Amino acid sequence: MECYSEQIVSIFVDGELAVEEARRLRDHLATCRRCRQLLDALRAENRVLSESLQELPEEAVSPAGFSRLPWSLPWGDVAVVAAVLALGSMVVGWIDKLSIPEALQWLNPFSLNGRTNLIFNLSYYFAHGGTAMVDDYAAIVGKIFLLLLLGGSVVLLARRLRLRQPGLRLLIVLLALSLPGFALERRHSEVVTVAAHETVDDTLLASGNIVRVEGVVNGDLLAFGGTVEVRGTVKGDLVSFAKRTVVSGTVEGNIYNFSNSLDLDGQLGHSIYGLVQSLRVNDRGRVGDGVVVAAGDVSLEGEVNRSVTMFAGNADVSGSIGRELTMTGDSLTLTNTSRIGGSLSARVHQLKNVHIADGATITGTRDIQVRVRQSHFTRPRFYFYQAVWLAAAMLVGWLGLVLFPGFFQASTQAVGSGWRSLGLGVGVLAGVPVAIILIAITLVGLPASLMLLALYLAAIYLAKIWVGAFLGHMLLKPAGATKSDWLLGLLVGLLILTIVGYIPYLGGLVRLGVVCLGLGAFAWQLYRVSRPAITT
Amino acid sequence: MDAKRNNTKGSQSREGKATQMEGPDLESVIERAQGHDAEALGEIYRLYVRRVFGLCRYMLDSRESAEDATSEVFLKLQRSIESYDGSIPFPRWLLRVAGNQCIDALRRRKRGRQVIVEAEEGVAVLEAASSEPSPLGAVLSTEERAQVRDAIARLPENYRVPLVLRYYGELSYDEIAQQLGLQRNYVAALIFRAKQELRRKLGHRSK
Repeated sequence: MECYSEQIVSIFVDGELAVEEARRLRDHLATCRRCRQLLDALRAENRVLSESLQELPEEAVSPAGFSRLPWSLPWGDVAVVAAVLALGSMVVGWIDKLSIPEALQWLNPFSLNGRTNLIFNLSYYFAHGGTAMVDDYAAIVGKIFLLLLLGGSVVLLARRLRLRQPGLRLLIVLLALSLPGFALERRHSEVVTVAAHETVDDTLLASGNIVRVEGVVNGDLLAFGGTVEVRGTVKGDLVSFAKRTVVSGTVEGNIYNFSNSLDLDGQLGHSIYGLVQSLRVNDRGRVGDGVVVAAGDVSLEGEVNRSVTMFAGNADVSGSIGRELTMTGDSLTLTNTSRIGGSLSARVHQLKNVHIADGATITGTRDIQVRVRQSHFTRPRFYFYQAVWLAAAMLVGWLGLVLFPGFFQASTQAVGSGWRSLGLGVGVLAGVPVAIILIAITLVGLPASLMLLALYLAAIYLAKIWVGAFLGHMLLKPAGATKSDWLLGLLVGLLILTIVGYIPYLGGLVRLGVVCLGLGAFAWQLYRVSRPAITT
Repeated sequence: MDAKRNNTKGSQSREGKATQMEGPDLESVIERAQGHDAEALGEIYRLYVRRVFGLCRYMLDSRESAEDATSEVFLKLQRSIESYDGSIPFPRWLLRVAGNQCIDALRRRKRGRQVIVEAEEGVAVLEAASSEPSPLGAVLSTEERAQVRDAIARLPENYRVPLVLRYYGELSYDEIAQQLGLQRNYVAALIFRAKQELRRKLGHRSK
């Protein structure tokens, strides 16, 4: 009789052959040595399979890791929610205790005023090409993130080489060194005043509705409030985070300013660095060095000893600038009284928006460029940068996959949950800046808020990578789940996202959606990792 | 309850390492669990979580998904254990539930489509005797077992899922066919091909 096929014998070995056929096969086995050998081999194979499957495919799971009761699973979630609520109430209580001064309410996103400000600022930001800035920002963050990843790999390497303890200490020392440790005097009340006859020897940290310095601050002045006024003298720098900042006295260092408006009526030893809605250097104002500012409106009536660089909507210059004036923006006006010691270079959208009076003095050259909205697709540079961007993203993706394989792949998968990721992402995208501002307002949390900001920006950058990898995976549907499959998927996904991102209007929406999806997946993954579920 | 398997595949019967509790003890724990005794449910969790997680880990492609599925199985167990009637050994029943959970998860990922789609030529059974069967060797070292596991994990889903359900979950062809919505013959063919693919993978490795 003819021998049975291997598949039939295999089914027999599995005990799954129909009774009648099994009987015939048994009869055949009695006479056929070859089939008996096959039978034995297949039985052995089944044993091998069962034995091998006794353990788990990856690192063995310690039973201790599973010793938790299952009831800790729902309780785990309840605990997370409870912890979040508790933390939330603590933060709320904390904020309440800190009693954000009336002056800062314009910043507080929970107040009506704050919300209108936020909406206004955001719309202004987006109306003025803020999205492009976000892209640039993301690129910078990408580089920083690359460095962080490299740092991470060093740490991992150190761990492998059992350098964990010293490495950790080194990290702590570095962290400690990076935090400012200066003598600090804090003042907080409705109106903070350094009276005319008073001298503060340390750095002064002042917050209040009105912060007024009429006397002398020998260190720096860090001021937070509705109105910050320096009528006296600040010998160090002025760092001001206020609705309105007025300097009619003297600041011997620099002014770092984040305000709605900054007015300089007095003397400044060095430079102004600012991100403001309106900057005004009055005719009595004098800047020892230069000005670097991004502002809606700039009015320079006084004197700036060195160069001025500004990104501004409207700029009026009627005072004098010692060296170059570099301006990028919408409109520029130089009046008869204006004087520029160096060259003028301006980049505007339309030539008719540049008004240079006949009496204006410009010692150097005049270079006025009209930024024609030339399609960047025609420039080779564009493609070069895109390629660099893509390569960087691939590298980040690869490093991430090597360093945190589980997390990266799981985040990619989490993108697939669609609405959950999208919803969560929108929440995170909108919520984290609020949290950052709230933490920063309290000042004590400034380092924490900066760290959160870094994480936030990094996650925005990584969002594209996760979504790209997911998209690529969806399209390619690789059979395996190897690193190269993932990376190939990433490449394809990123290419598609990049191209789609340049479709007018729709592209912006797609980009936003991608960021939300990726952020949501990331947040979900962070939650999962922190969740006390089944871990080893 | 009979701890022995009551179907025909006795020769491959495997006593799970996690099953330290036998007969009357386990029976009473299950009874208590059916009465919503949290302690008993906890005991079942402790005994079988590793087995269930193992099945999920083999069937799903990431640790996270496996953890999710495992959690789901035990969460639902509070209710589903009421339907356990003792006709099959509890571990097998539990693994069947877990297998269903994983298949649901796979199906969700495929947006409701079938996990494994039956191909036309699939049902054909090889009739001719194979000239060189060369199944896997009988005794394996720890390292070799790890290689086998690794190879199983790298099998395509349509091979991996039935193979794992069969040799880890110890489900019958009929049960697997029912869970996956396939014909019994096709399941047999898939399991057979999965083994061939495994041999091929491991053969490549050893050369």
